[in-house]
Amino acid sequence: MATTTAAVTLTSDLLSDNMSVSASTTCMKAGTTADGLDQMEYGYVDLATGDEYDLIAATPTATKASKLYLKNHSTDETYYIRVMLHAQEIGRLYGGDWMFIPADFHDADADIMITAIGGTNKICYALFHEGITKDASA
Amino acid sequence: MATTTATITLSSTDLLSDELSLATTCTLTGADNSTGVIGTSGLARKTTANTTEYTLFAAADYTDDKAHKVYLKNTSTTATEYFEIQVAGTVVGRIWAGDWAFIPWSADSTGTNCDIDITPQAANMTLEYMLFED
Repeated sequence: MATTTAAVTLTSDLLSDNMSVSASTTCMKAGTTADGLDQMEYGYVDLATGDEYDLIAATPTATKASKLYLKNHSTDETYYIRVMLHAQEIGRLYGGDWMFIPADFHDADADIMITAIGGTNKICYALFHEGITKDASA
Repeated sequence: MATTTATITLSSTDLLSDELSLATTCTLTGADNSTGVIGTSGLARKTTANTTEYTLFAAADYTDDKAHKVYLKNTSTTATEYFEIQVAGTVVGRIWAGDWAFIPWSADSTGTNCDIDITPQAANMTLEYMLFED
C-alpha cells in the first residue's frame, strides 16, 4: 500500500491569543483505513489571461477519495485563477495561494476548470486518486 | 497587520519511484492586495445530530468575490464516515475520516448563492472548521 501524508499548519495572530492549528492525514481510498491512494498526476502549466483550462484531462473514478492540490505560483498579488467545478466558481486562488480539496468527479460534467485573470498565471497541481478513465485516442 | 499563514506538506516514500516531498507556505492576504486577511471565525466544532444537510457558511454573510479560505476537518475515526461538501449546491467532494481540506471561497451571492453546505454520512459526526475572511 502506498502511504501518502498530507499535513497542514495554520497560524495567525488575528486573535488575542496566537493560533496554531495542525492536522495530518494519510490519504486513504474511500471507506477504508487499509489501503492508501496509489495513483497521482502532477503537472505545471502557464495559463494566459482569460484562458479556461480543464485541469484534469481524464476522468477520475467518481465519488471516491480523490484529493486535489493546486497552487498559484504567480508573484503578482493581482493575478488569480478562478477555480470552477461543474461550471460553478467555488473560489479564487491569488498569487502564492494554495488549496487542498476533496474532488468528487460525480458525473461527466464535474470537471475542475481554472481560468487565469490578470496575467499569465503559473499553476502547479497534483491529483491523488484511486483510478481514472483515460480519454480515448482520436 | 495581522499575519496568517497556511503551510501544507505532501509526502510519500513509496507512491512513486522517487520520494515525494512537497512543502509550501502562503500568507493569506486579501483579493488584489498584500494586506492580511481581516477576520476569522476561529476554530470551531460542530457535531451533527442527524444526516441532514447543514449550511456551514452562508455566502450572504460575507463580501462577494474575495479571497476567503475555509479549513475543514472530519474528526471521525470510523473509516466509512464522511462529510459531503457542497459549494453553491455543487458537490465538491467527500472528506473521509481524519481527512482535512483547505478551500478557497469566493462567497458569491449575486449570481449563484455560494453557501458552503455539509452533509454527514452518519449521525453524531464532528466537523472542525474555520473561516479566514477577506
